[in-house]
Amino acid sequence: MAERVLKGQGWPGPLALVVTSAGPYALGITVAFAAVGIFMAAMGFDVPRAYSTIVFTSFRSVNGFIQTLLKFIPLVLLALAFTVPLAAWKFNIGGEGQLIAGAIGAAAVGILLADLPAIVLLLALILAGILSGAFWAAVPAWLLYRFGINEILTTVLMNFVSFGAMDYVATEVWPDPAAGHPTTVPIAAAGRLPLLVASPPLHTGFIIALAVVVAVYLYLNRTTAGYELRAAGANARAALLHGIAVHRIALLSLVLGGALAGLAGSVEVAGVHHRLIEGVQSNYLLLSILIGLIAKGNTVAVPFVAFAIAALEVGARAMQRTMMIPAEIVFVVDGLILIFVLLSDVVRRR
Amino acid sequence: MPALPAADPAGPRTMLEIRGVRKAFGPVVALAAADFQLREREIHGLLGGNGAGKTTLMNILYGLYRADAGEVLLDGRPIQIRSPRDALRHGIGMVHQHFLQVENFTVTQNIALGMPGRSRLFLPLAESEQRVRDLAARFGLEVDPRALVAGLPMGVRQRVEILKALYRDARILILDEPTTNLTPQEVDSLFASLQAMVKEGISVIFITHKIREAVHVCHRITVMRLGRRVLTVPREEANDEGLVRAMVGEDVDIRRSVLFSGVSRKPQPSGGQAILRVEGLSVSTKDGVPLVEDCSLAVHAGEILGVAGVAGNGQRELVEALIGARQTAGGRVLIDDVDLTDAGTARRLERGVAYIPEDRLQDGFLPKGTVVQNLILGVHRRAPYARGAWLDWRAAFGAARRLIEEYRIRTPGPDAPAVNLSGGNIQRLMLARAFSSPCRLLIAHNPTRGLDVPSTEFVYEKFLELRDRGAGTLLISEDLDELFLLCDRIAVLYRGRIAGTLSRGEFDRYRIGRLMGGMEAAGARG
Amino acid sequence: MLTLVPYVLASQGTMLAGRAGVFNVAQEGIMLVGASVGFLGVYLSGGGPLEGLLLAAVVGGLFGLALAYFTTTLKMDQFVIGLALFFIGLALSTLFYRLSIGITLTPPLISTLRDLPVAGLSRIPVLGPIFFRQNILVYGTVLLSLVLHLLLRYTGPGLALRAVGENPMAADALGVNVPHVRYLTTVAGAMLIGLAGAYLPMVYTGTFTEGMVRGRGWLSIALTFFGGWNPALIFLGALFFAGVEVLAFRVQVTGVGVPYQLVLMLPYLATMVVMMPTFRRLQVPAFLGKNYDRERRLLL
Repeated sequence: MAERVLKGQGWPGPLALVVTSAGPYALGITVAFAAVGIFMAAMGFDVPRAYSTIVFTSFRSVNGFIQTLLKFIPLVLLALAFTVPLAAWKFNIGGEGQLIAGAIGAAAVGILLADLPAIVLLLALILAGILSGAFWAAVPAWLLYRFGINEILTTVLMNFVSFGAMDYVATEVWPDPAAGHPTTVPIAAAGRLPLLVASPPLHTGFIIALAVVVAVYLYLNRTTAGYELRAAGANARAALLHGIAVHRIALLSLVLGGALAGLAGSVEVAGVHHRLIEGVQSNYLLLSILIGLIAKGNTVAVPFVAFAIAALEVGARAMQRTMMIPAEIVFVVDGLILIFVLLSDVVRRR
Repeated sequence: MPALPAADPAGPRTMLEIRGVRKAFGPVVALAAADFQLREREIHGLLGGNGAGKTTLMNILYGLYRADAGEVLLDGRPIQIRSPRDALRHGIGMVHQHFLQVENFTVTQNIALGMPGRSRLFLPLAESEQRVRDLAARFGLEVDPRALVAGLPMGVRQRVEILKALYRDARILILDEPTTNLTPQEVDSLFASLQAMVKEGISVIFITHKIREAVHVCHRITVMRLGRRVLTVPREEANDEGLVRAMVGEDVDIRRSVLFSGVSRKPQPSGGQAILRVEGLSVSTKDGVPLVEDCSLAVHAGEILGVAGVAGNGQRELVEALIGARQTAGGRVLIDDVDLTDAGTARRLERGVAYIPEDRLQDGFLPKGTVVQNLILGVHRRAPYARGAWLDWRAAFGAARRLIEEYRIRTPGPDAPAVNLSGGNIQRLMLARAFSSPCRLLIAHNPTRGLDVPSTEFVYEKFLELRDRGAGTLLISEDLDELFLLCDRIAVLYRGRIAGTLSRGEFDRYRIGRLMGGMEAAGARG
Repeated sequence: MLTLVPYVLASQGTMLAGRAGVFNVAQEGIMLVGASVGFLGVYLSGGGPLEGLLLAAVVGGLFGLALAYFTTTLKMDQFVIGLALFFIGLALSTLFYRLSIGITLTPPLISTLRDLPVAGLSRIPVLGPIFFRQNILVYGTVLLSLVLHLLLRYTGPGLALRAVGENPMAADALGVNVPHVRYLTTVAGAMLIGLAGAYLPMVYTGTFTEGMVRGRGWLSIALTFFGGWNPALIFLGALFFAGVEVLAFRVQVTGVGVPYQLVLMLPYLATMVVMMPTFRRLQVPAFLGKNYDRERRLLL
């Protein structure tokens, strides 16, 4: 509707579209930063320097940029793990647990089958991760299908279960005695993802992530299965009455989400840590759901938002290191951006 | 026909006056400059087609909507009504078309809800129950105060709705299409209760789109069209043609209209090929409560078979079973002699079954989608929309453009968000979708509910076209007039069983009414 | 007995809002914030527990207000807003703590709540100390559950509240102010949830740590369902959840040879198992999670 207003004033079509789509985001970002900035100034922090650190660290050095991309990879995959089920109006809050499950599966293959040749081991690793993640999501999916239990609850509970599993694997099954922190022994060198850039290291997971984004887009928008998924999410009853197997689709969407998160787990193991390290999940869950919500579930927007959030994260850590300002401030900024984006929806509806 | 009590001979006094009310919903103007007058002790009919503004006006009176302009005067003094609370305080009560009751509550709880009790906190249950009993006796509205609403039949539930208003000492009672869910016998009982109310000094505003009813029971009739009052006549001076003219204006060519002409058609020669055959179909709930029992019927080529019945007698479940969305507990469903009892919805749709759901928005519409996305729902796996696993959006768009034109759906284009379509256009979309693939059997459930006159016309035209093309139609409707107009045969559904079937030559309102109310079980025919 | 409290408080809070149709999923975040500001309230003011509890309740209430505003007035989706509030709660809880205390090696402590023995009764052997020598929050929780039960079942306002959750259109048409009811219950419920969070530092550990709540917020949603959205049943059901938590703790401490990670997982697995036969049969308010828009519903 705002588009039409702009077009009525003589703006060319495509430009109007870009402005009305990106406008709310830009506005939200600005206001969020401004609001937090006032708060920080009140606490006596050096706001301009803090902000420049947050925003520009990613771009100031090659290392910063690579760090950002390294964060981007799991974030974008996890965000998709949230948005794909969301298209079917199912809320997968279990990305964390599914990632961990994927990491466990990948590490297990990487350690146990160490004798396999390079490509084979790598593929087996990744596959194991995908399947483990899918399984981890299949449990809540089945509970939903069979017993009608709300998936928000079950996916979250599975996260906590996965913590226990991860700790067990890292401290009892394949522990690395030399490490100070619960970690497994490393996986075979053959299981590592090849690097795109040697130093600082950027692994091929980046290519994988981008390929997955394209695949998800095609699936959701161009296939009949994707259409059915979205229809089921838009109006389950109508879809059911028109021949769509809604319950099966709900289950499938969650399992797909789990597979995507599991992929993220195996990519982290094969590309970054080369072992299962406790804490591999970092704070990705929160950020990924945030990304999914800010992108409003739109597959095309997800990678862009994911990159932006990754950049902010890198910047925030840098700020905490150099200026002793708690990095959580950026969380608040992220949250405010989300609220503004959601509000812009409301405004648009009127 | 029960006689009306004479209007107050001492000279009628206007107790309520509505002046110059205007209400727009965004760009849609529902009420332009509406006015209305109600006298003491009268039953005043508010007549008009869907979309004329009658319900909107009354909702404003009841405080559910706020008018953009205009005023309301009660007993000569202007009053402000900002919410139902105000309306109730002024003695205005309303019975809506879809009953507003909490299923898990008892009758008394539903009636007493929201009323400040004498002791501020605890509910005086016994007292409330007694009051309900007294009111029920006074006005002929028998109910059991302790019963849970969930199990009650429609007629009784309506009494609960009316009692809500009487419990609060309403002086003005607004009834919105009250006969929708009643058998003809229950309608008579309702009218008797209305007379009792008028005697006690209550005035009634009776909203309806049926001329027959208005003339039958009302002292005066006001016709509304396009958000304005067009005509007010006392019952003695009303004639059908004049009222129809007032209701539809120039929109509809009455002579060629299906709706108003009461066209008498040749009854179809029986013994065409049976497209749908239902044998002994049973549907029950998970706990074994039967919803449809041993139902058998057949729809032949070029025939429109109607299913009459008060809502809640198994219609919904029957339809769901027929399109494969519900499991059956027994019986068979055959389409073109192919047993599809265990087939899923998708397969039935493939075999030429088309479906127009009763609750358009809930059951057949994707609000977040675009027009084209809605048009392919149900047929999305078929050529030309799909090639293998991939959707062919170009073909879909092309087809969508064609359908938009053919069915005169008012929308900017296939890409437009479907949520902006009006009720009539949504129904056109449903029709377009149902007919877009070759259709052998059309199952339509209350297809014209809530539609304005031109849209209703359109739907009837399309149904007749389909019939002429040799397809079969199963028309489930709670509107007896509609069934009488269109159907070749009518089956009556009562408590999940077919109570009887009548052919066109045998159509009789009261006979069907008895079947609908379970008072007669004619031998089922054909 | 002690472990009951956060579950009951959080669940009753969820139930209260839920019976009016607002499905709060931000408990974990609200509890964290409650824990954080509750702790800080006591630590920074140097006074008794009252400041902390009050602060936790107020902040919880603010979250409830936000939830109510965005969903009831702006009609946005309840899950999405709940999740957003969950993040914000999470972020703020750590932020407040960091900003006030910074990074220290040893965690700062506050004194935990004292017990309030009830005169003669606490001397009854075995049962006495369990029931009658507890801190004030425990007594309060029991009282609260009782009050809520009576309120919902037997009073006029209680009936109106239930109606708003079952059929807001019916309630509205009879003059019940639906938005008011939703706001009130959501804010009050969130206050309870904030208190539940504050309970943790004040009774268990005496300090605030980041992962303190450990999923209890989510578990309380399960408990609310499990208790059929009924305050009395919720109280009883909490016995189960508390029991599992205590059991897990005991096993961990005595080291019965079961790998302790398994025991850690127990509460969550047990919850899922328990929900299997019960979830479908529960009485859920019909309008839970759905927003009510007076004008739109009539248009459609």
